[in-house]
Amino acid sequence: MISLRHIHKRFGAVTALDDVSLDIGTGEVIALVGENGAGKSTLMNVLYGLYQADAGEIRVGGQPVRLRSPRDAIARGIGMVHQHFMLVPTLTVAENVVLGREPSRWGRMDMDRACEEVAATCERFGFKLDPRARVDTLSVGSQQKVEIVKALHRGAQVLILDEPTAVLTPQEADDLFRVARELAAGGRTVVFISHKLREVLSVAERVAVMRRGRLVAEVRAANTRPEELAALMVGESRVPQAEAQAYHPPQGEKLLEARELQARGADGRPALRGASLEVHAGEIVGIAGVDGNGQRELAEVLTGLRELDGGGGTLLGKPLTGLTPAEARERGVGHVPEDRLWRAVVKAMSVEENVALGRQGKAPFAKGPQVDFAGRRERTRLLLQTYDVRPPDPEVPLQALSGGNQQKVVVARELDAAPKLLVVVQPTRGLDIGAVAQVQARLREARDRGAGVVLVSLDLEEVLALADRIYVFFEGRITGSFTRPEFDEREIGRRMLGTGQEVAHE
Amino acid sequence: MSDRLRAVLPSVFSVFLALAVCWCLIALTHDATKATEAYLHLLRGGLGDWAKYLEEGTSTLLTRPLGEAAIKASLLLLTGLSVTVAFKVGLFNIGAQGQMLVGALTAAVVGAQLKLPALLHVPAALLGACVAGALWALIAAGLKLTRGVHEVISTIMLNWVAVSLVDNWLVVGPLRAGAGTVLSTTGTAQIAASAHLPRLLGDSSRLHLGFPLALAVALAIWVWLARLRTGFETRAVGLGAEAARAAGIPVGRRMLGAMGLAGALAGLAGALLVLGTELRYPGSLGAPYGFDGIAISLIGGNHPLGVALSALFFGVLRAGGTNMQLLNLSKSYPELIQGFALLFVAGRLVWLAFMRRRQTAAPTAPVAPKQPEPSPEVPRA
Repeated sequence: MISLRHIHKRFGAVTALDDVSLDIGTGEVIALVGENGAGKSTLMNVLYGLYQADAGEIRVGGQPVRLRSPRDAIARGIGMVHQHFMLVPTLTVAENVVLGREPSRWGRMDMDRACEEVAATCERFGFKLDPRARVDTLSVGSQQKVEIVKALHRGAQVLILDEPTAVLTPQEADDLFRVARELAAGGRTVVFISHKLREVLSVAERVAVMRRGRLVAEVRAANTRPEELAALMVGESRVPQAEAQAYHPPQGEKLLEARELQARGADGRPALRGASLEVHAGEIVGIAGVDGNGQRELAEVLTGLRELDGGGGTLLGKPLTGLTPAEARERGVGHVPEDRLWRAVVKAMSVEENVALGRQGKAPFAKGPQVDFAGRRERTRLLLQTYDVRPPDPEVPLQALSGGNQQKVVVARELDAAPKLLVVVQPTRGLDIGAVAQVQARLREARDRGAGVVLVSLDLEEVLALADRIYVFFEGRITGSFTRPEFDEREIGRRMLGTGQEVAHE
Repeated sequence: MSDRLRAVLPSVFSVFLALAVCWCLIALTHDATKATEAYLHLLRGGLGDWAKYLEEGTSTLLTRPLGEAAIKASLLLLTGLSVTVAFKVGLFNIGAQGQMLVGALTAAVVGAQLKLPALLHVPAALLGACVAGALWALIAAGLKLTRGVHEVISTIMLNWVAVSLVDNWLVVGPLRAGAGTVLSTTGTAQIAASAHLPRLLGDSSRLHLGFPLALAVALAIWVWLARLRTGFETRAVGLGAEAARAAGIPVGRRMLGAMGLAGALAGLAGALLVLGTELRYPGSLGAPYGFDGIAISLIGGNHPLGVALSALFFGVLRAGGTNMQLLNLSKSYPELIQGFALLFVAGRLVWLAFMRRRQTAAPTAPVAPKQPEPSPEVPRA
């Protein structure tokens, strides 16, 4: 019913879409896969009216249409759920759904009618949502459903979901797949943008693969294996295989022993509520959990960026209480933070200045009170080469690098300091396959060298692939601890939601 | 090198554009010949009357105007650096004027009250002014760090506190020359001869030690920011405070340090005014060099050397402006030129920021790897 014909789109010198043609039928679940920057989001943003194509044609139901804004797209029955939800957290479900088209009486919003309408929509599509619940009290999975209901409420026949499972637990993701299949069975179309191949193959009937702005293949999910899909996405035969992960028993020295950690989050509310954990040299400890269950605060406590409210312990031989960022670095804690541009780098500074950041007073970055320009240049060149950063130019501003290369600079810098304990948060988010594989390999190297690694990630697949042990966080406490090879994805998922069996003593 | 050139060009262009606009304004209110003549007067007043000098050979034809230009330039340079240093740590110092006032008063008091040999008296007065300016600025920095008070608000307020305290009370009250007597004077007592900033060219010009001092300070600040570890840390705090904190840089200490230095520089400007030319704290300090510092800093691209160039240029313009009055033109034209130049520089920054926003709207371009922020036309829910 929707037909994209010969779509071209350029951003400056970069060709984002190069002659892409795609048909989207009625009542199907179609997946759009590709590496970061392959053009899948751009294509869907063109369809949603966020971007105008430079050339090409969009037909809806056979009619050529011009989609100048999302308003046009919504009018044609096209809805999109973005990766970052656009909900007002302090409003209720119903208020969010009707926002912009509120039913009103005598110029005042008719709350009751809004709730009825939204409840009707929910019922029609089989969503269990309380229209009067405030959005900020809902889980991420439910918030996503609110977004979907919002689109359906506005009459969406085609629903575009941009990386919808990135923030979900396995159970929530399964639930989403069920919803998607039901919508398709009811005659609606669901477009899945994703780079998680297994889930794509499980939910979609048809998979369109994009690479460097071109649509390179369309395959039926039923007779395709993930490896084949990966090969199509990457193009060459450089498909990084998930390395067979051997079990690394935690036998090294105890680097961290934390007891009953308590700390507040940025909003002042208790985020860590009595978490106790240990990290040994030579192991990767994965921290799994749904976003906002205290993992972020744990990383901040371990790097001296957040004060403890209670609890304590020892970090690299000294008390954890009263730790400052400088002291943490002094003890040998490395940190790859979650928000790169905010906390890891100064984007307006040059690559070499960023490499010096954190060690600006030490050799080879300083000579006494002076900056050691030659030493800094030399070390930076070496790191850029070793970590395959492109362009390997120490002088360009860091912001000129792509996200993956920026992250490589951060990882290079932190590992170059030979940390005893490395705290990494979401280290591969937003990176393409090549960069992901490289960053993960570097973390394994650090572990094999004898460092302890604390890996906080919302991507359970990543935690399962890398970690030797896993702690599951729920509401600031540890609700489960698992040791390779006894990883049970289902059970971990249940613990992430605070259900499942009571935690046995570790 | 071409990068550096590109960084300087917009300021140069803005200045010339401002000159052109003011030329048009004079031409419109008078006539074109008068406008051109005015600019020639301005040049003669700021850079010396070279034609007449070559004819008559009187060196004061050059030294006097150049000396005046250098004196004005050194004041603009120091207040400009004050704004620049604060800017580097991420703070907007609107308070250079107030810091300059307390610095000037301190210099006047130290210069008049203490009895010291010249070798100690001048440094003591300069140092006193620096300390006073620094403390004045640190009030704002302290409020920022402990109570989260925005420095723009607090420094503006502190300007008025300084005016009330210094101009409206101390100088007309307890510190007035002849206070407690029946003498009616304005300003504080004359400073001792030992506190005078030495003149460099004897009687042929008022040029004093303050000018080379200000240039040396600019150079020192450049070296500090570009080559020393603490300067690097200061810039890192200004460009990315959270990243600096995570890197173990003492953010609060760097902010206090930079703001204290900013205040000291403004205070030093006040001291040069008092010890070099006024020789006491006059009834009112008058010239708003502190506020000019904001313009000088921005036009100079917030770079110590750029600020020096911009201060020299406007020093010449200001000195020449007095000369323009001979043609019955308002001497505020140089200030007008400075104002226009600032407007054009700022306008360019706005334009650049706008262009950058449009560029980063491209989501899949490899240079912009982050997920695009939803553009404004997305229906917000």
